[in-house]
Amino acid sequence: MANEDVWVVIPVYNEERVIADVVEHVRETFPNVVCVDDGSADQSAARIAGTRAHLVRHPINLGQGAALQTGLSYALARPGAKYFVTFDADGQHRPEDAERMVEVARSGEADAVLGSRFLEQAQSVPWLKRAVLRLVVAMSPTARKMQLTDAHNGLRVFSRRVAERLHISMNGMAHASEIVSFLAKSDFRVEEVPVTILYTDYSKTKGQSLVNGVNILFDLSLRDRG
Amino acid sequence: MLAQIVLLIAVAGILLYFVSRRHNVRMQAGKRIALFLFLALNVDAVLFPQHLTWLAHFLGIGRGADLLLYLTVVAFVFGMLNTYLRFRGTNAQITELARTLAIREAELVNHQRGVLASADVHTTVASTNITDQEHRST
Repeated sequence: MANEDVWVVIPVYNEERVIADVVEHVRETFPNVVCVDDGSADQSAARIAGTRAHLVRHPINLGQGAALQTGLSYALARPGAKYFVTFDADGQHRPEDAERMVEVARSGEADAVLGSRFLEQAQSVPWLKRAVLRLVVAMSPTARKMQLTDAHNGLRVFSRRVAERLHISMNGMAHASEIVSFLAKSDFRVEEVPVTILYTDYSKTKGQSLVNGVNILFDLSLRDRG
Repeated sequence: MLAQIVLLIAVAGILLYFVSRRHNVRMQAGKRIALFLFLALNVDAVLFPQHLTWLAHFLGIGRGADLLLYLTVVAFVFGMLNTYLRFRGTNAQITELARTLAIREAELVNHQRGVLASADVHTTVASTNITDQEHRST
């Protein structure tokens, strides 16, 4: 089967309604899926256990960044794993986008491939969200330096070299900025690929609130200290 | 006027302290000396309130008690941020612990579920390292 060397990491927190469908859909393209249940209070873990995805359960809720790192650590320990995809649990990403991004990584053009909502058509993004996300990019020196158009997209592909070096220490939502600044400081080649985000009613209710941006800025400004 | 300068410098010092990335032995000793000086000032203020009043007047503040209040606010903010950062350090350790446990158990469970070949089970993962885990106490 194709894509045996690809591992898809899905951090899951209270997604019992959609997670099984998302996993099955992803597994049509990528056979290796690891779901990290981040201490969900609902039946997410049971839904995942009903699929053929690997299940890792945090004993306590640690945050999305921590769940991503756990999934990457688990996938890195699997023999033959070469490419690592981060994928959101709420069904807003498309596996075909992920596959195109893996192809870019496979071609050797880039060590890390990031999905961008803004590279081609930005129509699917609600305007307020679009404005805020653009502001985040404009305010982030690293994102500007790398000329990224979208710093907070959950769809990413890492080569094994990148995944081995990456250690996400921001447990909460600040991990997205942390990953971008890690890539900016490294000498890895980074490529952005346009992706389509499916803003369903469900994913809208699960999306990051804009107020959370304040928390992210606070976390980032105080990291690695004390 | 002088008091405002001194207090602003104190606030700036705290900010600088938390923005600097070095937290070594010297920093730790500095924190302890600052704590000792603050306590000594308190003892002096209790025994000789006129000293505090004199210092307050020198700095351009009305009363010694006001000066003490200002200094207490500065010390409180410093202590609070320090505790916050230590709390985050503890959080990072808990994360590592939970992650190691989760992966170890997942390998067993996923093997039982038949999605993971037994040859794949490593059970010694803990690959993530925390670089900044020197032992620290305030």
